[in-house]
Parts: sequence; structure tokens; C-alpha cells
Amino acid sequence: MTSTTPVSALGRQKRRGSTTAARSGMWAGILFVLPMLVLFVIFRFVPSLGAIGMSLTDYKLSGDYSVVWFDNYTRMIADDVFLGALTTTLVYAAIYVPLVVVVSMVTALVLNRLVWGTGFFRGALFLPYVTSFVLAAVIWLWIFASDGLVNGLLTEAGVDPYPFLTGNQAQVLTSLAVVSAWRGFGYSMLILLAGLKNIPDDLLESATLDGANATQRFFRIVLPLLRPVVFFVLVIETIAAFQVFDTIYVMTGGGPSRASYSLVYALYDQGFKFFDFGYAAAIGVAIFLLVFVISLIQRRFLDRSNT
Amino acid sequence: MTATLTRPGTETNGTPAAARRRRRNRIRPGTILVASLLAFGTIVPFLAVFILALSPEGARTIPFQLPDEWTLDNLIAVLTARNFLRWTLNTTIYSIVSVVLVLITAAMAGYAFAKKRFPGREIMFWSFLATLMVPTQATIIPLFVLVARLEGIDTFWGLIVPTLANSQAVFLMRQFIMGLPDELFEAAKIDGAREWSIFWRIVLPLTTPILATLGIFVFLWHWNDFLWPLIIAQTDEMRTLTVGLASLNQEAVSQARLMAAAAITVIPCLVVFAVLQRYIVNSVAASGIKG
Repeated sequence: MTSTTPVSALGRQKRRGSTTAARSGMWAGILFVLPMLVLFVIFRFVPSLGAIGMSLTDYKLSGDYSVVWFDNYTRMIADDVFLGALTTTLVYAAIYVPLVVVVSMVTALVLNRLVWGTGFFRGALFLPYVTSFVLAAVIWLWIFASDGLVNGLLTEAGVDPYPFLTGNQAQVLTSLAVVSAWRGFGYSMLILLAGLKNIPDDLLESATLDGANATQRFFRIVLPLLRPVVFFVLVIETIAAFQVFDTIYVMTGGGPSRASYSLVYALYDQGFKFFDFGYAAAIGVAIFLLVFVISLIQRRFLDRSNT
Repeated sequence: MTATLTRPGTETNGTPAAARRRRRNRIRPGTILVASLLAFGTIVPFLAVFILALSPEGARTIPFQLPDEWTLDNLIAVLTARNFLRWTLNTTIYSIVSVVLVLITAAMAGYAFAKKRFPGREIMFWSFLATLMVPTQATIIPLFVLVARLEGIDTFWGLIVPTLANSQAVFLMRQFIMGLPDELFEAAKIDGAREWSIFWRIVLPLTTPILATLGIFVFLWHWNDFLWPLIIAQTDEMRTLTVGLASLNQEAVSQARLMAAAAITVIPCLVVFAVLQRYIVNSVAASGIKG
């Protein structure tokens, strides 16, 4: 702000003018930020602190509670259902994150090579992203159900049906990861595509002239230059994996026998089926800590490999 | 990966740059084939929804085949059944009202953060941004209890107001308004404009591009939102389309009816996307909006 260095003759008058202007600007600033500030304080900050506070109580539906300190957390470490949900979520993340990152990367590379029909293909590949997980789940239920499309075709072909949603944990979580990845890869794809567009053609040209093949160019030039973008995509997709709920709610209801019972599902059950709000709040805090720690680890890991 | 490289040394005529341009602009059939297969995988499930929705109830759908006759019965049945129209209305109100309120409050806050000086500005802005770190699920229990205490369960305000504190919207508005020249606002002030009319006459018109982008995304987020409407809507009447669709899925509704409901749910998203496709796609890459 260097515009407040006026002609010296008008100095005093101007300065007084600008302080009143600054003061009125200050009040205007406060008034303009006020609606959003009120919303944030009531619906973000209070619940964030409230989550921690409630997790230390046995808050019930009636509103009665007593402070139980860390009972919810000690209960959590001994609770097989919670530990199962934690394992399930970690396994799901281990399947979903590589899947969605590879799919986004492959589709971004393909789009980057297109010289014809770019707009159409970009739009077509991004299409599922504008719909809901619930819709994706309803569609894929028709495809994956035991009497669904794929199994119908398999039976027709004389092959045994595949237990997409009724098999063991790895099978069920993979099916759910496919659905979530189908719905969600478009966003990461566009972010990676924007990164690819920033890689100078000359680098790839000279590598080609030096005899590097496509694989070498990808691993030696494209991937190292794309590292910050890949990191961003990894973080947001990992966070998405820990928040999985809608797809599970519609497709398996957490089953079969808790094979797809994720952390958010456990939180939802504890809160809105058993009305054990204190315990549910503690699970929420655990989800936050988990997401936080994982993104710290990813940051560290990628920073180190960067140097 | 298709191998369409020109060997070094085959560039007999023209400059290397021209050769490079030729090579870059070459249409690669392999790439187009792969892209077509991928697009097939994203488009066909939607086509299936509409085909199944227009098939007679009880028609053989597995393995997939086109129906012998098309019918609107399922769509009509769904639209006239129970509260489906009410759910559509709820979702529309939830989405549209949220868009308007988020845009106004975020533009106001963004303007203040970008162009006004007031005590606590920085700390306020950064604590808004910090909430991006907290997953909504982590605070949903206390948020629900709070809204319940304020008697917001099963009401529109309980559905809408808690979702308006949107740090991404504030951040994007601030970034955009920071890029607008100060002289504009000073000139308006010299002409005697009050703060509020500066906001309405200058800030809002100049931020139309970012308002439109944000508006599309807020619309899609709310239209597709699930967990919050699920816990706030306790009666059938207050459900939104996603919650209603999930509940239909749990009931013994026929495949054709379910797909008809799904089709109606998704049409607004597809229309928004078809009309504003280029805009949406470009803005993701440019601003990093994440739903």
C-alpha cells in the first residue's frame, strides 16, 4: 500500500482523511466477514472442540452425560468392532488409493496424447464425478450383485459366478474400491492432466532423440517432474479413502459379516443406531487423527525422496 | 502406448521444429482406441440406467439387452409414488438456497479478507483454512447434537445452514478479489459509493466468473450430498433424493422403478454438466476445487 504518500501540502488533511477511511474500512471489513465468521464459529469451531469434549463423556441421546475422561478411548483399543473397522478402512485405503491413482494417471496420459476429440473424451471421462456416490452404488449394484450383470454374463458363458459383494473381505473391498474409483477418478485425472501440460515438450523431445523409450521417459522425466502433483493427488485420495461411507451404505451395509464395516460406518452406527454419542465422537476424533498422521507421513516420505 | 515415434534423422525436409509439430499433431489411432474404451466405461453405466428406467417392469435385464418395448410407466410411477416429488423439491431447495447463501457470504468474506484491514484478519483467515484439515465426519456428532439442541432436526435450516461454512469458497473468493485492482474500489469510494453498494455494484459483477464456477460446484456438492441429509432428515417427508434413492434401494422396489428414480436423480447433474462442461473441467485444473 504505497498509495498513501500524498502531496506534502495536503499532508495533515489527507492523513486525517485516510485514518477515518481506514477506520470505516476496518468496520466494513468486520461487517463483511461477520456472517461467515458466525457460521464458522457455530458450525465448525464449536463442533471441532465439541468433538474432543464429547469424546471424554458418555453423552447420550437424552443430553445427559458425565465425564468419563479417556474411557471411550480405552474402550476403543479393546473394541473388536472398532479395531475391525480400523483394519477394514486401512485395507480399503491400500486397495483404493493405488487403484484410483493409477487409473487417474493412465487416463491423464491418454488424454494428454490426444490431438483429436479432446473435449469430448475429457468430458466423458469426467462424467461420473458430477454424480453422487449413491447413484454410482445403485448402478454398480446392478452390475456386481450375485444375480447382477457380470454374474449373469459369467453364468451364460458357463463360468462360476464371482462373489463381488458376498465374498471375502479382499473381494468385497476391491469391488467397493472399483465403484468409488469409477465415481471419483475424474478429479485426480484433471489435476494430473494439468501437471502433464506443464512439462515442456522439449525435454521429452530431446529424451526421445537420445533414444529413451516411452517407459523410460515416463519414469525418468514425467514422474519426477510431476511429483508435487502426484503428492497432492495421493493426499486427497487417501483422505477420501478414510471417509468412505456412501458406497458401503448402499451396496453392502457394512457386510457380509462386517467385511466392509469402515470407520465412518462404525461412527454412524454408534451415533445414530445406538445413540452412543460420546463413543461416536471419540471415533470421529480417531478418524481425524488418522487422516492427519497419514498426510504427515506422506509429506515426509515425499519430501525425503525429493532431495 | 502406441509407438508412433519418428526415427531421428528421418526429418528430411523442414526445420526440426516443424517436424516436431507434425509429430505432435499426428492422430494416433491407438490412443483414440484406448480413450474410447475408457469413455465407454464411464458413459455406458449411465445409458444402462436410462434404458432400464424405460424398460417394462419385470423385463429381462440380465444379461443386458434392449427392451422389446419402451415405456414411461416406471418414471410416472416413481414420480407419483409417495414423497418422491417432495424429495426432489427438498433437494432443489437444499441445493439452490445453499448456492445463493454460500456465494453471498463467501464473496463478502473474501472481499473483506482481500481488500479490508481489520484486527484479527490473518488469524481468522488461516483458522478458516485450517478447518479444511478436519474431515466433516469427525465433527458430525457434535454438529448433530448442536442442531438438535437448536431444534433444527427435520427442518430446512438445520439441513442448509450448517453446510454454509465453506472454507474453500472463502479461499477462492479471496484469491480472486485480491487480483482486482485497488483503484476500482477507491474510485467508487471517491464517487461516494457506500460499502454495501460497492459490494453489490462492483465486487459481485467483477467476480462473476469465479461465482459461476463456485456456484456449479456448490450445487453439485449439495445435490449429491448424503451423510448430512441422512442424519438430519428423520421423516420420509424431509428426505433428499440421494437419501430417498438409498432408502428405495433398501426396500423391495423393482429394478425398473429403482433405475427410474436414479435417472430422475441424475438428470439435473447431467444437464448442468452438459451445458457447462468446458467451464467445469477447466476450473478444476485452474483452481483445484475439490468436492
